[in-house]
Amino acid sequence: MKKTISLFILLLITIFLFPLESLAQIQTRLRVIRASNVGSSIDPSLRDVHKELGSLFSFTSYRLLIDEPLNLSPNRPISVSAREGRIMIETTLLGMSKGVAELRIRVTREGKDILNTQVRLFSGRTVLIGGPKLREGVIIYAFSARF
Amino acid sequence: MKNSCSSVSRLLDRYFDHEATKKERIFVERHLTRCSDCQERLNLMEGLRASLRKPVEEALEKETFPWVWEKIEREIRLGKRPSWRESLRSWLDMTPLLRRKVWIPAVVTAVIFILVTAPILFKKSPSYLERSVVEYVESQTYNVMVYESEKAKVTVIWLFEGPDEESSPS
Repeated sequence: MKKTISLFILLLITIFLFPLESLAQIQTRLRVIRASNVGSSIDPSLRDVHKELGSLFSFTSYRLLIDEPLNLSPNRPISVSAREGRIMIETTLLGMSKGVAELRIRVTREGKDILNTQVRLFSGRTVLIGGPKLREGVIIYAFSARF
Repeated sequence: MKNSCSSVSRLLDRYFDHEATKKERIFVERHLTRCSDCQERLNLMEGLRASLRKPVEEALEKETFPWVWEKIEREIRLGKRPSWRESLRSWLDMTPLLRRKVWIPAVVTAVIFILVTAPILFKKSPSYLERSVVEYVESQTYNVMVYESEKAKVTVIWLFEGPDEESSPS
């Protein structure tokens, strides 16, 4: 009985002292979206961010081009290519503490840097990087994470 | 008779001190009704006890034995104190509920409660700088605007095309 209780207390202490952040691997999600004013279709898989997109932008159509889960480990960059390899999005986990992942995002077009940024990605928060033109619309990269 | 006297002689001291069993007592008393020698010996023992008792009782009445009480008090003062564990255990044993070891799940519950509430109570509210999402941003080909929406929990990094980019198709 005493042994069981001791183990139970030890387990609780371990859970509280070493939260999930210390596992040093997080799963983020990168979605590449094409936003335009041609038509008024909303991709069904963008329902969770449609409200935010609608409140920020005046586009009428949002189409999901890529949906990529990224299992990030510290200082191990993961690259995702878009537009037949012309655009590369490289994401690196720099660190993590108290529910915040620090990411470095580098976007290149045909080998040329178009964006270098360092962001703190809070759990449940979304970071949108957009602006580059794509046909009649623009391209938006949406980074989100839950941990 | 002689054999019986020698047997009673061994029992007579026990009979006199009220230490004989019922069976022995019946045996001695039956013998005493028939044997004057043993009866006389018993009377002698009773006389001796009576002659000793009187002066001893007189002496005890006069004596208050103060040294005895001093010694007892000193022993009480110097007596071994119980350890904190023994004290705690005796205190716990006073309550019948606690004696049933109800305190074990109670302690576990208290520990869980403290562990759950402590991080919430002592959680530091983040400052503006801690809440800001974009630490730095740099672009050689675009003008950059950063917009952080607290309400929508969204941060936007928007790239505006520069003059040379406007002419080239993306």
